[in-house]
Amino acid sequence: MLIALIVLLFLAAIFVFFIVGIYNTLVRLKNRYENAFAQIEVQLTRRYDLIPNLVETVKGYMAHERETLEAVIQARNQAMSGLKQAAADPSNAAAIQALSGAEQGLTGALGRLFALSEAYPDLKANQNMAQLTEEITTTENKVSFARQAYNDSVTEYNTYKQTFPPVAVAGTFGHVNNAELLDFDSEAIAEAPKVSFN
Amino acid sequence: MATTFYQRQADAKKNSTRLIALFVLAVTLIVSSISVTTWLLAENLPRGRRVQMTTGSGFNSSSDNITLAALTGGGALALIVLGSLYKVFQLRRGGGTLVAESLGGRRISSMTQLPEERKLMNIVEEMAIASGVPVPPVFVIKEDGINAFAAGYSPSDAVLGVTQGCIQKLNRKELQGVIAHEFSHILNGDMRISIKLIGILHGILLIGMTGHMVLRNLFYFGGGSRSRRSKKEGGGQIILVILALSVVAIIVGFIGVFFGNLIKAAVSRQREFLADASAVQVTRDPPGIADALKRIGGHSDGSRLESANASEASHLFFSQAVWAGIGGLWATHPPLTERIKAIDPSWNGKFDSSSSTTSSNTSRTSQVTSGFAGSAQGSQTAEIVSEETSGNLRSTTTTPINAIHAGLNVVGEPTLEHQQYASQLIEQLPPTLLDAVHDPYSARAVIFCFLLDSDQEVQKKQLQAIKAQTGDDFHRLVRRLQNHVDDLDVTKRLPVTDLAISSLRSISSKQYREFIKCFNTLIKADEKIDLFEWIMIQVISRHLKPQFEKIKPKRESHTALKKLQPDCETLLSAISEAGNDSEQAIQAFQAGANSLQELSLGPVKGNQSSLRGLAQALENLSSASAKDRRRLIDACALAVEADGIITWQEAELLRGVADLLDCPIPPLLPS
Repeated sequence: MLIALIVLLFLAAIFVFFIVGIYNTLVRLKNRYENAFAQIEVQLTRRYDLIPNLVETVKGYMAHERETLEAVIQARNQAMSGLKQAAADPSNAAAIQALSGAEQGLTGALGRLFALSEAYPDLKANQNMAQLTEEITTTENKVSFARQAYNDSVTEYNTYKQTFPPVAVAGTFGHVNNAELLDFDSEAIAEAPKVSFN
Repeated sequence: MATTFYQRQADAKKNSTRLIALFVLAVTLIVSSISVTTWLLAENLPRGRRVQMTTGSGFNSSSDNITLAALTGGGALALIVLGSLYKVFQLRRGGGTLVAESLGGRRISSMTQLPEERKLMNIVEEMAIASGVPVPPVFVIKEDGINAFAAGYSPSDAVLGVTQGCIQKLNRKELQGVIAHEFSHILNGDMRISIKLIGILHGILLIGMTGHMVLRNLFYFGGGSRSRRSKKEGGGQIILVILALSVVAIIVGFIGVFFGNLIKAAVSRQREFLADASAVQVTRDPPGIADALKRIGGHSDGSRLESANASEASHLFFSQAVWAGIGGLWATHPPLTERIKAIDPSWNGKFDSSSSTTSSNTSRTSQVTSGFAGSAQGSQTAEIVSEETSGNLRSTTTTPINAIHAGLNVVGEPTLEHQQYASQLIEQLPPTLLDAVHDPYSARAVIFCFLLDSDQEVQKKQLQAIKAQTGDDFHRLVRRLQNHVDDLDVTKRLPVTDLAISSLRSISSKQYREFIKCFNTLIKADEKIDLFEWIMIQVISRHLKPQFEKIKPKRESHTALKKLQPDCETLLSAISEAGNDSEQAIQAFQAGANSLQELSLGPVKGNQSSLRGLAQALENLSSASAKDRRRLIDACALAVEADGIITWQEAELLRGVADLLDCPIPPLLPS
């Protein structure tokens, strides 16, 4: 009987290792996607910092398009507060969704601004404007690269969480919800003209 | 400093032996105390109960009790071994990153714009370039105490962790001292023992942890069955035995904790003085690190950490992270006062509780003196560097580097000059390029630019491949960066690569696969692999690959050089053929071979010593002992020097070879 007890204890120990292993993997994958979010945060912040400069430059030429400019500024501010909330807790799906929405709005507003600016040849010739456009495009590429890395790590986390055996214990360990993918592309943006200044 | 890099590596190894001895002692004590307790328990159980209990199982004589004791002991031993093995394997896979994450670390992005984080990253980048190792990922830990650590198996998978308190409360000089201290742990091989220690001790600490857990569960589930004890005496007995066993496990667990901490203390304490001394050597600013220590002493949280996992990793840190035990028996670090006195003998014994902005006076005065000496040397280096920049990327400049032997004597021991060289190198990079290497998106472009061929036809092919695989926008970025990269001095290519790799570590595995695909296409474009391409492949597969592909960490071994003779020949031939014609090559080979006389080496004919063979040879050679590897690098240096002219190609190859042999050498300073 005592041998049985020892064997039992031994098996229990192995079981515990196994569970601890799952727990650690969950934590590691969660850390990874949260770190990936930090990368997006840096790029998005840079993008939001560029927009007031852009509006300032455009203002002189496009005085009649005040509404568009205001829409851009508003969308930018909304996206910025969305980013702040999402950065505070990247595992909060609602915050990530809100950021996705705000970003889609901003991209749409920017797209309209760039489309309108096509009608102002003076603006197109402006050195400052060309530089800003270039910078915004580059930053957008960087954002989408960082976003891809984030989405990859989110997918990895979600997949691991949904497979067996982790799925049996993930909830108990506080990994209840799936992490949310960041999706900045919507149909509205697909319609919006692409940034083209060259 | 009297001891050399190799000596310290050897000391570190001696420490491993002591560690194992202590571990065996601890395990023996734990296992025997468990066995003895079980035996005593079985012998002294009330007679009536024992009969009850043993009728089923047949344990009724004292020899059976001994068997029982042996079995329990065996079970405990198995548990310890299993626990240690589990943790060791887990750490093997996760490395330093795992340690940092288990402490709640958040990785600092290489392109961070927060001033405090930027400052820290700049310091780390400078120090990495000065030491000739890739820039390690840096993690911030949300703790108010002032502390930092380095963790990993080798320089290429090392990570640094720094507490929030450390970033906020220390000024640049002090932070630099702390980072230099941690880098010396990376270079001295302390890190490797430290991370092993976490794994091995896990098993010892596990017994106590299991006891706690069983006891808790027993109260949880055992409540119901206890009422039925009178009816089922046997079941009650089991619970009684389990209860006794878990109490024993907890008591034994204390033995584990006691020994665990003792082992950590024994292994880590004296290494801290060494790391402090190395830090002073790099920064040549004793007040910097002394002030950091004083600030810890003056700060209310000191260097204490709150995280529950901190005790497991306490020996990794810059300063005492958990309770030091009665009389400092468990202290993983020497007392602050002793460390400060060792650096600053004139210290008045007062800790600094002021904030970092109002730095103490002692540091100010010495800043002036060291600043003075530093600026004199700085301007000298700057002159040479600006001369060098005229050398085009692909031209074969033949600048003599007289300092090459000086360079070798500082393997793993960067000095202030290297640190200054590194900070200047970063400062002089065009801002566009510096921005690009800090960002994973454009860091790829910088690496691709390095691979672009000078031949226009091949280059066109390469650019087309980039366009096809990564899209228009990225292609344009490569074109834009190309000019900056072409203007870059040859000597800066490897350091810039090191910076870029550190950013690339944050891409996802999918993005990594795409990157490697394009990387390989570019290299294969001209259907031959030149020296620089070869080094790039080695650097990437050594410093980036392990992050994304499963690679077994290298085992420590000491194969005798005699057994590696063909590999020695391949290495020396390749080195002597780089930048030499065939006649010079033979001379160069002889010069190198003479220093390894007992091997009687002969040169390998041209095509056999191809770069492909070199990679394999280096892989084999890395199993030699640290001492033998140093002799090999010395031999290579002699071969390189043989004709009195050292080209940058030779120097680059030498640095690459030293890196692959795990003996990072600081950048060769122009003389």
